[in-house]
Amino acid sequence: MGMDAAPDPASAHLVGVDVGGTFTDLVLFDAGAGGFRVVKTPSTPDGHADGVFRAVERAVPGEAARVARFSHGSTIATNTVLERRGARLGVLTTAGFRDVLVVGRGNRVRLYDVKATRPEGLVARPDIIEVDERLDAAGAVLRPLDEEGVAAACRTLAARGVEAVAICFLHSYADPAHERRAGEIARRLLPGASVSLSSDILPELREFERFSTTALNAYVAPATGRYLEDMRTGLRKMGIRAPLQVMGSNGGIWTAERMAERPVNAMLSGPAGGVAAATILARSLGVPDFIAYDMGGTSTDTCLVRGYRQEMATEGRIGPFPNRAPQIEINTVGAGGGSIASVGPGGFFEVGPRSAGARPGPACYGRGGVEPTVTDANVVLGRFRPSDALGGEIAIDIAAAEAAVGRIAERLGLGLERAAEGILDVAVARMTASVKEISVMRGLDPRDFALLAYGGAGPLHAAAVAAELGIAKIAIPPLPGAFSALGLLIAERRHDASRTLATALSEARIEDIEAVLRPLRARARAALVADGLEESRVRLETVLDMRFEGQAFELSVPVDGALDSTDALAARFREAYLERYGVEDKDPVEIAVYRVVGRGPAGDIALPEMAAAGGGGSETGRRRAWFGGRWRETAIHDRARLAAGDRVSGPAIVEEAGATALVPPGFAATAHPSGSLILSNGGNDA
Amino acid sequence: MPELDPITLEVITEGLISVVREMRATVFRTARSVAIHEARDFSCGLFDPTGQVVAQSEDIGSHVVPLPWSVEEALKDLGGGLAPGDVILMNDPYRQGTHLNDVTIVYPIFRDGALAFLPAVREHWADVGGAVPGSMSGTANEIYQEGIRIPPVKIVERGRLNGALMEVLLSNMRVRADRLGDFNSGLAACHTAERRIDELAGRYGIETLQAAVALNLDRSEARMREHIRRLPDGVYRYEDYLETFGPDGFEPLLLPIALTIGGDRLKADFAGASPQVPAPVNSTLAVSAASVLIVLKSVLDPGHALNHGSFRPVEVSAPPSTIVNVTHPAPAGSHGEIRKRIVAVMLGALSGACPERVSGDVHRTSFHNLIGGVDAGTGREFVHYEWSSGGNGGFEEADGPSAMAAIDWGDLSTVQPTEVLESRFPLLVEWSRLGLDSGGPGRRRGGLGMRRSLRLTRGEARYSLLADGAVMPPFGVLGGDSGGTVESFVVRPDGARVDFASPGKVGGQPLAAGDAVVLQSAGGGGYGDPLERDAGEVARDAREDYVSRAVAEAVYGVVLGPDGALDEGATAALRGRLAAARVRLAIVADEADAYVPSGPSRRRIGRLAPADAARLGLGEDGRFELAAGAAPLRAWLRVDPAVAPGSAPLDRLGRTMLGVRPGETVLARPLRVPRVSPSTPGSALAPA
Repeated sequence: MGMDAAPDPASAHLVGVDVGGTFTDLVLFDAGAGGFRVVKTPSTPDGHADGVFRAVERAVPGEAARVARFSHGSTIATNTVLERRGARLGVLTTAGFRDVLVVGRGNRVRLYDVKATRPEGLVARPDIIEVDERLDAAGAVLRPLDEEGVAAACRTLAARGVEAVAICFLHSYADPAHERRAGEIARRLLPGASVSLSSDILPELREFERFSTTALNAYVAPATGRYLEDMRTGLRKMGIRAPLQVMGSNGGIWTAERMAERPVNAMLSGPAGGVAAATILARSLGVPDFIAYDMGGTSTDTCLVRGYRQEMATEGRIGPFPNRAPQIEINTVGAGGGSIASVGPGGFFEVGPRSAGARPGPACYGRGGVEPTVTDANVVLGRFRPSDALGGEIAIDIAAAEAAVGRIAERLGLGLERAAEGILDVAVARMTASVKEISVMRGLDPRDFALLAYGGAGPLHAAAVAAELGIAKIAIPPLPGAFSALGLLIAERRHDASRTLATALSEARIEDIEAVLRPLRARARAALVADGLEESRVRLETVLDMRFEGQAFELSVPVDGALDSTDALAARFREAYLERYGVEDKDPVEIAVYRVVGRGPAGDIALPEMAAAGGGGSETGRRRAWFGGRWRETAIHDRARLAAGDRVSGPAIVEEAGATALVPPGFAATAHPSGSLILSNGGNDA
Repeated sequence: MPELDPITLEVITEGLISVVREMRATVFRTARSVAIHEARDFSCGLFDPTGQVVAQSEDIGSHVVPLPWSVEEALKDLGGGLAPGDVILMNDPYRQGTHLNDVTIVYPIFRDGALAFLPAVREHWADVGGAVPGSMSGTANEIYQEGIRIPPVKIVERGRLNGALMEVLLSNMRVRADRLGDFNSGLAACHTAERRIDELAGRYGIETLQAAVALNLDRSEARMREHIRRLPDGVYRYEDYLETFGPDGFEPLLLPIALTIGGDRLKADFAGASPQVPAPVNSTLAVSAASVLIVLKSVLDPGHALNHGSFRPVEVSAPPSTIVNVTHPAPAGSHGEIRKRIVAVMLGALSGACPERVSGDVHRTSFHNLIGGVDAGTGREFVHYEWSSGGNGGFEEADGPSAMAAIDWGDLSTVQPTEVLESRFPLLVEWSRLGLDSGGPGRRRGGLGMRRSLRLTRGEARYSLLADGAVMPPFGVLGGDSGGTVESFVVRPDGARVDFASPGKVGGQPLAAGDAVVLQSAGGGGYGDPLERDAGEVARDAREDYVSRAVAEAVYGVVLGPDGALDEGATAALRGRLAAARVRLAIVADEADAYVPSGPSRRRIGRLAPADAARLGLGEDGRFELAAGAAPLRAWLRVDPAVAPGSAPLDRLGRTMLGVRPGETVLARPLRVPRVSPSTPGSALAPA
């Protein structure tokens, strides 16, 4: 907590701020009052911290000194890559391999197009400089490091004004000594530049993916560092003395200092916060297996969680660039509330990925949007007509929505309501396909999972998505419209350590495996302790990426608890393999990557259990809404007034600030004591 | 047929594509061949009972587009007797496969007692037997040397594996355990498809599914018809060559195309194609027809998903027993080469119809390099297969991408991780760089090819290469110049370079520890006149090592200062001199036979006056090209004193290809063939 006196825990404030593409959400927990505050402000488009400061000023006027934790979900790293605003980058690489980052895997980015081009890389080809050194696959030195060559290359890069250096040598996962020595030289000769080593950022096999991840890290490091520094300075000016924390793509809270060194781990900072929160919330609901479904304005993020364990990505990317930093596997599809419906050439009906965004926004926002969006379809059907849209900034224009949907209805030769329904059907089909990619394509049946729905548009479409997938149970958490920001308050710290080392289980002893894991455990523990966590509060998990010998793709198998025998390890892998692929195989098994995950609480002040706190009498009115081909009289409820155990039968609409939940006919919603709203099918007949 | 609204159609289409994606995910993660999991050398498709492809995803065009012909052949043999639980296995090129390594599993799915859908998986198996490790030999003269041939057979019958047949097959393949793993991965994908189809059919009814499929096919057909209708009617022609070597050396084989566009229909006719030869330069009608479709799609209607409806307005005609429609017993391993050459002649012909929509030639070959043997370290068999892609052609809007899979290759990865290769094989990748100057010069430069050196670290091995384009470089269009050719040679530990008598065609060359194989994939052809390339772009190319200073000056006419800065004055002067020094010839009508025999085929000759031959710096039989507004016409020189200096006699066919009339002038130039330098920095690595 530093040298400053910590705020009194009894009256402390915990603040989580998530910057989204359109809005910045702030959630504040007031330990004294025991309640939450939510603030929504427009994000500042150029990536500056001003939007965050504005939100903080609105949330904590005069109470800055009470802020005990400040957690941030940031888009700085992501935007720096997507908008190509990163550092002038230099790369040192093994002689002969200058073009690894230039040609990648040599694949075509756009099929069946004679005019496809490769996206511009992060580094100019002349700024990739080869140095004489070489290891073999076992890490043995074939050629020693030419330190003079490294120094000369660094001087060249310094003369060119390079601000960041990535050091990317072949087989450095097997022995980082050459990269480390080159890194020392680079830091000495390029004192102002940030230096990233591939053996440090991602000590794993496959040079292009490792180099790309390292180059991304270096590319965004200066901008991320400046941003986090500005943020710290600004918060101090406001009187906030709490250390700055940042959400990592791995679903864990990082200190700002560590993130500044490894900003490639912040690429999924925002969405990971939501998944982290969902995982913790799922515990209070007793739902270990669920699909997190986050539908926002332009896109929908989905993530699969089993046994409270988030699936980790094996093929992560940011834009066109592979990013293999440990990250929650979040599948994104371009379908959100603002997605535009259109009839393309050849009569193909499409919804998204084109989006009306915040400007002009859906037609119903009355800001000049004329194309029909998913939100307009919901307005037409009477499902979405909040009185306080966007924090009361706008009034929903029903006529504009009907006009926009009416135009496409005419082109399709359908009635207004059927066209609106059709827009939702197609959007739901796209979101469903996205959920299938993370479930059925891994041999998992979505019916065995619950759906945890949040994001501004999630609760409105959750029932339809669940019905489509055969999912029986849906949970809508508290504050679904600012859920990622809430996640920043309840997520844990996390540190990942890994090592690539092929180990045939038939030849290895369990002690050999332990010997590889021991230093990884020490590393994960030490990192969290250095971040200020007491050693006794660190929890460690072990995951082994295993495969059949001869395969090149691994399955991550958790092996918590004592490792008893190599046979038992192989058996666990076979079991996981059979479950995922439905194929039994007797071939020998090998370990490819060793992984240790360290976790621990992010702060000393625990949030209370959330609870449904309303006093009942939640129905606030009725209106017509369209379900199953006809208009139905539909009850409108205020979620804040629902008491634990209250039950609302469909058709009904449950409104709250920032989100609207739809309870279709046949569904019922129950207020769970934990504060979530549980939707289930078969509640009442239609 | 049930009524279908556009929304249900869209939802079902999304469902069908999702079935194929799920199949792909299953194969990708469970297969054993490195080619499959590192490079995605496999495809999945969903077919209707008539063998039409109804859904695919990010698959390899070269696999999936010919697949319908294979499915049709399978149904011809076995269609009547198919029952639930049957699995068909096949790889026979003569039955409209691709090459023997592409092993196909077809899995009939029944609903209500009738055949409903056929998911199919085509995987490149790393070895299917034959003369050399990896099965693709550049010197095969019969199909028997290329591996074991599997006609459509039921490998599983009513759920029971035909173990005896599987045993026979595996006994004829190297690394048999991996082959069984590959088979199982394909089968698992088909099982997945069956479950999903059942779910979809249970929900919408099989008739609605089939109606959605029919409607999608009709729409794709309508789309393609509309695109063809927008092209000017006419007959567009072009010609190019495949490469073989006879007792007297190089024997080019002619591949002509006549593309007839009439209204909304298009016909590609390969009449006059070289007879098939006892060498691996032949392929199947399925491959040829698919290649035509791939180009039409990529030029006329880029980007959108592909199904069989697009093919309905297109007719392909290829005479039997030619290189583009192979019959027993000629080798059939050259789908990658025939396909690339059909891409070339299609681009050449279309450059006359819609020059603003084509690119320069792409990299000529699939460049199958194989190094295999027994690893002296582990005692295990190994086969390393690599297919470095080359440069793509420049086009109106941009330079051609370097070392990127061509349009017939889907999202295939073409650079394999060095760290994986060195972990698995007794090989050391010494360097892997873009080949300087291998991109075809042009206003838009062609992309560069890849240049790699792989050294054998222990034991012995054999090297095979099945390629093409080692002699004839990729052509530029609209005045663009040629890209670099394919090259490969062995460098001994003492630095001595060993070239092959038949470049591009190597079968089982022995390698000893310390020998390195150096390979260079072809570049892409340029687009437009290199003297019109923005001089600043040339300076940047030089600065970034895409173009040497020497080529910047000699070919682009761009003069750079010692610091690499552009010298504008000197550049303008040099460009003026280079333009003035060009050999421009007036076309004269001459209907004498323009071809001479070339092995079993023919090649084009061009008669020029001795003075003009001297200006080109070429002697008898030297290779040159005439370039005008479209793709260039290539010919072998006949020095003929009877020809008037400054003129180029040309037959009607040649004038059609060039798009010129008598009296018009064209540019004549020798074929440009940049070569890899034998000594490349960084090659001094000693083997471990």
